[in-house]
Amino acid sequence: MAYHFDFNFVPDYAGMLAHGIGYTLGLTLLGGTLGTLIGIGGAISRTWNVRPFAGLYRCYVELFRNTPFLVQLFLIFFGLPSLGIKLTEWQAAILAMVLNLGAYSTEIIRAGLQAIPKGLIEASESLAFTRWQTFFYVMLRPALLKVWPALSSQIVITMLGSSVCSQISAEELTFVANFIQSRNFRAFETYFLTTAIYFALAVIIRQALAAIGRYAIARRPQA
Amino acid sequence: MMMTFTLWDIIRNLAISGLLTIVLSVAAFVFGGLAGLAVLFARISKIRAINASARLYIEMFQGTPLLMQLFILFFGLSLFGLDLPAWLAAGVGLTLFTSAFLAEIWRGCVESVPRGQWEASTSLAMTYAEQMRHVILPQAMRMAIAPTVGFAVQVVKGTAVTSIIGFAELTKTGSMLSNATYQPFLLYSLVALGYFILCYPLSWYAQRLERKVHAPRTN
Amino acid sequence: MPLVQTKRLHKFFGKNHVLKGINLDIQEGEVVTIIGRSGSGKSTLLRTLNGLESIDDGTIEVDGTALVAGQGDLRALRQKVGMVFQQFNLFPHLSAGQNVMLAPQVVKGTKKDEAETIARNMLARVGLAEKFDAFPDQLSGGQQQRVAIARALAMSPKVLLCDEITSALDPELVNEVLSVVRQLASEGMTLVMVTHEMRFAREVSDKLVFMYEGRIHESGHPQEMFNNPTTPEFANFIRTQN
Ligand SMILES: Nc1ncnc2c1ncn2[C@@H]1O[C@H](COP(=O)(O)OP(=O)(O)O)[C@@H](O)[C@H]1O
Ligand SMILES: [Mg+2]
Repeated sequence: MAYHFDFNFVPDYAGMLAHGIGYTLGLTLLGGTLGTLIGIGGAISRTWNVRPFAGLYRCYVELFRNTPFLVQLFLIFFGLPSLGIKLTEWQAAILAMVLNLGAYSTEIIRAGLQAIPKGLIEASESLAFTRWQTFFYVMLRPALLKVWPALSSQIVITMLGSSVCSQISAEELTFVANFIQSRNFRAFETYFLTTAIYFALAVIIRQALAAIGRYAIARRPQA
Repeated sequence: MMMTFTLWDIIRNLAISGLLTIVLSVAAFVFGGLAGLAVLFARISKIRAINASARLYIEMFQGTPLLMQLFILFFGLSLFGLDLPAWLAAGVGLTLFTSAFLAEIWRGCVESVPRGQWEASTSLAMTYAEQMRHVILPQAMRMAIAPTVGFAVQVVKGTAVTSIIGFAELTKTGSMLSNATYQPFLLYSLVALGYFILCYPLSWYAQRLERKVHAPRTN
Repeated sequence: MPLVQTKRLHKFFGKNHVLKGINLDIQEGEVVTIIGRSGSGKSTLLRTLNGLESIDDGTIEVDGTALVAGQGDLRALRQKVGMVFQQFNLFPHLSAGQNVMLAPQVVKGTKKDEAETIARNMLARVGLAEKFDAFPDQLSGGQQQRVAIARALAMSPKVLLCDEITSALDPELVNEVLSVVRQLASEGMTLVMVTHEMRFAREVSDKLVFMYEGRIHESGHPQEMFNNPTTPEFANFIRTQN
């Protein structure tokens, strides 16, 4: 018996899909922003060996990079309540996203800071820049610019990984897909469509981040 | 039915399921590596249609969630009469996922071999296959070791996602025990520790290799 | 019949017409030096001679092996035409000896022992007999370039192409490489080189070729050309060289 594809369900669930997409984008936007900020903090602490943050960051980075996101999510959502910390699905998902991305971005940005030539720093010090000015203008901006592609990839990877947040019933795209297919019994079509949406989101986010890299960080107007 | 678990029971069960995680990781890594080699050669082929297909393959796997890939394999294919058991869907899914990522990592290594190496070997009348075998791949492989070991960590962590389609590896076992014991914090901490024990040595080794590649020769 | 002959050789990079009908004859045992401003097409000409660049029109014939408008047996051509590059391009994962042995073994199917004998001879010829087991990053630039020459010679080419092979070297290392080239010339090796070492070019060359905007603008015996440049472009070029 030949199987007939049937995508007629799509209009009925368009609103839900949009909700799922919005949720996923929200997770990515917040996770990406806060995760990058944590990463900047981590990279600074690690680069200048700021005590006690350097050591704490080191443990944090190793713990989060060497365990699965799904397990981090479960630990936060199911585990923390036993310590009296009860989070909603949304809060737990966001926290997991931020912490996970923060660990990766710490290492990514740190590599960027390390790649700044010593001579540049000495030059700016010889121009009587303050330490903060040197850091902001001479180190952070070029470092971010250099690692922006790596950071962007990591953000996209994290967005795709957020798919498992469905497992704590966070109403993101995969959660919506699971719901739809449990109603229409069209698993293949539903997951195929959802996969295509993720693919499109990945492309769009990558483009958006590239644009941010060009305009906001490079501050280089159209050539 | 109510069961009581001692800490020892919990750890033993987790350890056994951890073995499944290891087996799945190794299988995905080995078969994914072999498939990845094929994808790599397709990707760097000079024949347009072949390298475009390889590129599409890589982008599809890199641009979509692993969970969706598993769902499509597991639920989707069953509609076509292909009923995969969870372990097979997990193995096949992770293998395909791994092949795409490794092919892309290796392509980067092949492409970072300087153009002069191609030119010198061309001028010595070597064929494409001879250049690959004797000049390009040996150099690319040296560069590939560290990121390949690093990616092994991603494979191990990726196996956790297969718990969602019901494969009883470490994470799934942890969830079941957590439901039975009402001790989620303990269980997920132990599960996390299990992954850490598997992944940290790989990460550490990858970093060490990374440093070694960039260090000058000493002999 | 000359050993190397090009007829109406044309090469385009996109719209950029880089070689505009090169006719060049090189006799066996001849040492030919190509000079000219940067961008005049010297490297491109050399690279077409062993098929590193395809040609868009014309013919190349080396010792009976012909390329007509890009069609022909490239592998046979490349075995007859050796090349040495500005950046050495040694294989970094192989020792000096293995660098020299590789192509005879892989391309010609020479047995390992025999290839090793060849490699030892060739390294001795460039004065590096004792560096057989050294890796490229353990050698100076001048030594690396001499290994590169040995590597090309191991294929017993009919003609050796040298594209600015001393340009990437520290000044104090230039002479060790030039003296290897001088020795090859005196042994009767057919050489085509691009160089900025004008004194050296005058000393060893049988023929000087001045390229200008993709054409052979002037060619002849080096002494005569330097003494009586016939075109203003060449006269101008000599003046700017020293
Ligand atoms: N691979 C290439 N792609 C495009 N243009 C090239 C390439 N190689 C050389 N050219 C162009 O061809 C011209 C001749 O270059 P080349 O032969 O390297 O000159 P020369 O060796 O005399 O300095 C230059 O205009 C150069 O920009
Ligand atoms: Mg040149």
